[in-house]
Amino acid sequence: MTAFVTLAGVYSTADFRVERTPDQDLMTASRALDQFLSSVEKRAFKIAQLALRNDDDALDAVQDAMMKLVQAYAARPAEEWRPLFYRILANRIRDMQRRRTVRGRIMAWLPSRDDDDEEFDPIAEAPSHDAGPAKRLELDEAIGALEIAVAALPPRQQQAFLLRNFEGLDVNETASAMGCSEGSVKTHYFRALENLRAKLGEVF
Amino acid sequence: MTDPTDFEKRTQEVLEESVGRLDGRTRSRLTQARHAALSQLEQPARHWWRSYVPAGAAAAAAVLAVFMWSGPTTQSPTANPVEDIELLADSDAPDFVDDGEDLEFYEWAAGEVES
Repeated sequence: MTAFVTLAGVYSTADFRVERTPDQDLMTASRALDQFLSSVEKRAFKIAQLALRNDDDALDAVQDAMMKLVQAYAARPAEEWRPLFYRILANRIRDMQRRRTVRGRIMAWLPSRDDDDEEFDPIAEAPSHDAGPAKRLELDEAIGALEIAVAALPPRQQQAFLLRNFEGLDVNETASAMGCSEGSVKTHYFRALENLRAKLGEVF
Repeated sequence: MTDPTDFEKRTQEVLEESVGRLDGRTRSRLTQARHAALSQLEQPARHWWRSYVPAGAAAAAAVLAVFMWSGPTTQSPTANPVEDIELLADSDAPDFVDDGEDLEFYEWAAGEVES
């Protein structure tokens, strides 16, 4: 530590430590959260889409998870955000699935509605980037087969597989996100792989 | 059968590819969702009691209205202690009990008025 003398007295450098204003803290937190959310948002959407099989519901689930994370956990250390975010998302997905089940039971009593009148939106349906036709076809098939297989997994296996394999969380983080023990995560993940391998062995 | 590690890598690659193919509308909506979430940080913190202020004000107004609605109280004009206190406290009021000299003067004055 350096000491120096002024007219007012002797000071050490510790006395002149730069204090951060609340605005600076807010900007730093906002930037860090922005970075974190943009790093997870697309995979989170994919996870929600596979679980809910509906783009709008998946977007709602991801948005709710983002809102809740910022609202309740922005002050928590950044390394805790990922498992917290996926835990919130998992809860939101489960709520939406339950609500959908209840709605399905009610709707079963009502006359069915024809959903074929939805307009085709070429911009929305357009792929975001190009690949060679052969490669593209191969990937299309692989993506289609994997998405069907993953969507058909039991919910806990699906969660464990997507968080571990796709999002890259470790066993501890996955357990925290799923709200279960590490042993359960390993079991669900192993069974998910077995199921997927049995279905996709020929395609992959 | 594919080696487990290769299988896991392959599924990961395929899922990443599917993320890369997300359409523009979805990407845009995700960005909007992120901005909406982050905008919460810019809003000033709300104190819990502020949400009760309108209800409290309404309750106070209702109590005041009921109090005023009950009308004037039945009170005799002579029995107004507030006015008595004001009279006694007034510095310009005559001092009836100051000393005997003034009292004699008031007795004389009263006699003159009667005669």
